[in-house]
Amino acid sequence: MKKTLTINLGNQVFHIDEDAFNRLREYLDRIEGHFADKNERSDIISDIEMRIAELFGQRINQQKQVIIIQDVEEITRIMGDPVEISGGEQAETSDYAGSSKPKRLYRDPDNRVLGGVCGGIGQYFKIDPLIIRIIFLVIFFGFGIGLLIYIILWIIVPEARTTAQKLEMRGDPVNASNIGNFVKDEFENVKRNFQWKKK
Amino acid sequence: MDLENVKAQMRKGVLEFCILSVLSKGDRYATDLLNKLKESELIVVEGTIYPLLTRQKNAGLLSYRWEESTQGPPRKYYALTDKGREVLTELQSSWKGLIDSVNSIVNQ
Repeated sequence: MKKTLTINLGNQVFHIDEDAFNRLREYLDRIEGHFADKNERSDIISDIEMRIAELFGQRINQQKQVIIIQDVEEITRIMGDPVEISGGEQAETSDYAGSSKPKRLYRDPDNRVLGGVCGGIGQYFKIDPLIIRIIFLVIFFGFGIGLLIYIILWIIVPEARTTAQKLEMRGDPVNASNIGNFVKDEFENVKRNFQWKKK
Repeated sequence: MDLENVKAQMRKGVLEFCILSVLSKGDRYATDLLNKLKESELIVVEGTIYPLLTRQKNAGLLSYRWEESTQGPPRKYYALTDKGREVLTELQSSWKGLIDSVNSIVNQ
């Protein structure tokens, strides 16, 4: 048994399995990430969605009413890889991609002992947070001001809460394909943890 | 040298020319056009055609209209504009010139 969703694709209604939906969403997001120009992008995506709707239509009938993940995989093979579709161009400089933002210092909520300050500094300079923690401990015991610096940083450095902020913290460009990859990684992590706990 | 990449680049260059050529013989909707180009093995994956159509439309070479269809939702029919015809004529003559030059080098 699987949960299905109802979607409107190219003005047609389809029932689609949840995993198939996620795959399709991810695929369309990746295509979108390759086109910088807003008007151009919406035209291209709507044309592609219409074609996918047409291909879906050929794959459903009275006996098979739901789009399954194999259908989506087959269709992404027919339509081609997003890189191929765009002819290898990257929407790196677009307003949409927002990738021109420089790396920023955030507190890393996924890698913290107290407030994630050391984890964030580690991400910023691309070094192991453990080294930062040792340095903080040394200046705490050696000079007595380490704790004060830590608390000040805890207060003034924002925490990376959203996916975009986490990408910014790592210095990865914030665009559709990166967000897609990041969300997928997170999802896989959660799934793995869950399975591990079940054992 | 990546042979597949070279092939893809060659195809991509002539694809725009071929889209205009096919449309000069009559209006078509994207899937018709796709089948025609797939028949002659000009495109491998379908997705590549949509950015080209959109760019040619934005450049004023193509126009489109919606037409009812007996099966499924309305279809988007592409047609060549006057400007598209001019560009096609120009491309045809440069294509002929290109073939001659390439042949003269390859068959030396």
